[in-house]
Amino acid sequence: MERTELLIVGAGAAGISAACAAWDAGCRDVLLADRLPYAGGILPQCIHEGFGLSAFGSELTGPAYVERLAEGLAQRGVRFLPGKEVLAVTKEKTAVLSGKGGVEEIRFERLILATGSRERTVGSLSIAGTRPAGIFTAGQAQEMINLHHWRLGSQVVILGSGDMGMILARRFTLEGKQVLAVLEQDAHYGGLARNFHRCIEAYQIPIRYRCTVREIHGMPRITGVTVEALDNGKSEFLPCDTLVTAIGLVPERELIRGFEKEPWLSLAGNCSRVYELADSAAAEGAKVGRYVGKQLVK
Amino acid sequence: MKDLDVVVIGGGLLGCLAARNLCRWNLHIALLEAREDVCTGISRANTAIVYPGYDHKPGTLKSEMCVRANARFDALCQELDVPFSRCGSLMVSFGEKADAVLRKKYENGLLLGVPGLRMLSGEEARKMEPALAEGVSSALYAPTAGTVNPWELGIAACENATANGVELCLNTCVLGIGRTAKGYRIETDQEVFSCRAVVNCSGLSADSVQKLLFPTPVYIAPDAADYLILDKSAENKPAHIIQYEPEDGGKGFNAVPTVEGSLLLGPSERKNEVDFAVSKEGLSFVRERAARVLPGLNLQDTIRSFAAVRPNPQHPDGSSIGSYVIDNPDSGFWSLIGIKTPGLTCADELGRYVADRLAAELCAEERPGFDPHRVGIRRARDLPLSERVVLVQENAAYGEILCHCEGVTKAEILEAIRRGAVSVDGVKRRAGSGMGCCQGSRCERAVMELLAAELGVPVGAVRKDGPGSEILEGSHGKN
Ligand SMILES: Cc1cc2nc3c(=O)[nH]c(=O)nc-3n(C[C@H](O)[C@H](O)[C@H](O)COP(=O)(O)OP(=O)(O)OC[C@H]3O[C@@H](n4cnc5c(N)ncnc54)[C@H](O)[C@@H]3O)c2cc1C
Ligand SMILES: Cc1cc2nc3c(=O)[nH]c(=O)nc-3n(C[C@H](O)[C@H](O)[C@H](O)COP(=O)(O)OP(=O)(O)OC[C@H]3O[C@@H](n4cnc5c(N)ncnc54)[C@H](O)[C@@H]3O)c2cc1C
Repeated sequence: MERTELLIVGAGAAGISAACAAWDAGCRDVLLADRLPYAGGILPQCIHEGFGLSAFGSELTGPAYVERLAEGLAQRGVRFLPGKEVLAVTKEKTAVLSGKGGVEEIRFERLILATGSRERTVGSLSIAGTRPAGIFTAGQAQEMINLHHWRLGSQVVILGSGDMGMILARRFTLEGKQVLAVLEQDAHYGGLARNFHRCIEAYQIPIRYRCTVREIHGMPRITGVTVEALDNGKSEFLPCDTLVTAIGLVPERELIRGFEKEPWLSLAGNCSRVYELADSAAAEGAKVGRYVGKQLVK
Repeated sequence: MKDLDVVVIGGGLLGCLAARNLCRWNLHIALLEAREDVCTGISRANTAIVYPGYDHKPGTLKSEMCVRANARFDALCQELDVPFSRCGSLMVSFGEKADAVLRKKYENGLLLGVPGLRMLSGEEARKMEPALAEGVSSALYAPTAGTVNPWELGIAACENATANGVELCLNTCVLGIGRTAKGYRIETDQEVFSCRAVVNCSGLSADSVQKLLFPTPVYIAPDAADYLILDKSAENKPAHIIQYEPEDGGKGFNAVPTVEGSLLLGPSERKNEVDFAVSKEGLSFVRERAARVLPGLNLQDTIRSFAAVRPNPQHPDGSSIGSYVIDNPDSGFWSLIGIKTPGLTCADELGRYVADRLAAELCAEERPGFDPHRVGIRRARDLPLSERVVLVQENAAYGEILCHCEGVTKAEILEAIRRGAVSVDGVKRRAGSGMGCCQGSRCERAVMELLAAELGVPVGAVRKDGPGSEILEGSHGKN
């Protein structure tokens, strides 16, 4: 069985930063695996500007931010395995990796989990109505539009006004689609103020507070949603051909389900807690990487 | 005009298993399905329980079939290479009135020869199933109850039937049936079929299909039902199927630990609704029942809710029919009308029943080459590491995980498409992709690309399930 001192799962902002910091701390045996065929995790699909103010002193796009991170990675001797999914981790400190090139089991001394987060989906809300085509999560829509140039619908309702919801609202608008409404259950938008100004205000996208989607209509494709005002219970039919849900992220920790605090295991980035800024995820990655690297050198 | 011995109408569980049973005989058979895929009707949305059979009146076809079908289920699933979990069931009560109902069912079950039945006290039941509520006063334990994925069983039977020579005609809706010297003439929106015999398994339309030529003794009065699915990671899931017999005699409730590892909760009951749309009230009902019976469940673990439609059989005067209706209005014409619970359990028995009688009517001989075995899609996730390593060496696509929740590889998805999936949901039904907690939001794009490439269509033409369900902006979607 192959061995590595440090295995890092996930090559997003956190994982790359952890790998580089561990190397800089003196660890010379770092393996960084990601199931995606490229580095950067969620960042390559975030083509908007807004990354790296504190780390690089300027506002970069997601892809530009990854470029910086990848440069750092290339300067060090970290072994990066793109297109490799870590299928399982055991308490005996082994992991199974799978990719086009093969399936293998490896032994590690330390593990840094940097697997990011996954989106909550419309299914978890158990909304009444039909189950038609034309419903996407924000991350899914973002990937389809920004990385694959696919065209989703033209009349869009977005559920959730966090950063992802607001950024997607602007993206659809820039693509020439009509965002009929961003719906938010709270009395205030959920994301950063700068995203509110740049995405919602600047493009005059309608945002409705204290309301939610109560029912989905249409089959086989979505034709509209029932929007309910939470304060007075009044509902209204809003015709649309696309519903995008931006209803929150869940730290992705499936690999270590059922594990207690293991001395050989650390978490970094969005799988540890959901970070609004890539810089913060990267900073945590660097901190964890440095710490683990030092311990391994000792 | 296509010339055949038998035309089976409807590619649901009943049609697929009828066709497979007919293959045992030397007959030329076609299976006609109106939609683009099999098992997208009632067979797609139900409770997935393989019933032990203690519920039905002794001496009826239903009671006889159910007990026998249950006993044969392992063999059926082995032949068709379909996962079957004989997890056992606990029907629970909260109070004396319902306790008495359970005891009646228990005695009925003994009479019918249902194996292994036991009455348990509330305490014994909780010992066996710690997830049960404190208030449970007694339970009827049936070790032979189990669960299977209904569409997986139907698709497997269909694959086996076609491997044995059945001609599968999809996108073929029966519009008219006539009498001929030879037997019957079936008109469809595609071609005309001439045949000696007909098996009508058209689910919710079975009464109207029968009426194309004969009067129907049974009318279908549909009603709707709602379900919730909890993620496989949900805590305090029961290990057994839990059924609830309410004190007030009202609608029961089931919690089924599925073969996929998720937990299915439901159904609700909504009278006179024919809608596959989920209702808010129905979901509240299911939630309330779940909280009462299995209070440790966290309903925040819900990953999906869906609706189903029941084909309730009624007499022309509106009174409901409890037994199975297998109508044979004229020689060579057989109709299965309004087959609801336990139709999944009995699908093979019903198919065999009709096939045997039809074979006798047609004086058919047994087909020596009949091969009852079907091999399912090889699933990388079920293999031990050493075999998995070899598999990926042989086929690199087995190394690429596309559905991260369920660990489904690219090879499995390609195989699903090769076996007939033409939509994202068709792939889901065959490969299991998109069944997990992200509900396909992470793999749908990759599945769409594979479908487009394999079917030779632009990605904008890829559908979720059936005509009009294009996922992207129709034909405008960029390839
Ligand atoms: C729409 C959107 C807009 C944003 N806007 C901004 C912004 O303007 N400014 C800003 O600073 N931040 C922004 N962020 C936040 C920032 O992008 C994230 O906080 C940060 O990138 C998270 O990094 P991460 O490394 O923790 O996770 P991720 O980038 O998600 O990386 C996790 C990686 O782990 C991999 N992985 C997971 N499981 C496995 C496994 N089993 N095997 C192998 N690999 C695995 C995944 O493929 C992925 O590549 C935005 C985020 C989103 C989604
Ligand atoms: C809510 C619910 C819960 C249930 N739970 C259980 C359970 O736990 N255990 C159990 O044993 N049983 C259960 N059942 C029963 C079981 O699901 C059904 O008996 C079984 O699925 C019926 O299958 P089918 O083939 O008759 O119907 P379907 O699957 O609907 O198939 C009929 C097919 O015929 C096609 N068709 C219709 N008209 C035409 C036409 N004119 N031309 C061509 N094709 C046509 C349709 O497109 C359809 O594909 C349940 C049923 C329901 C509704």
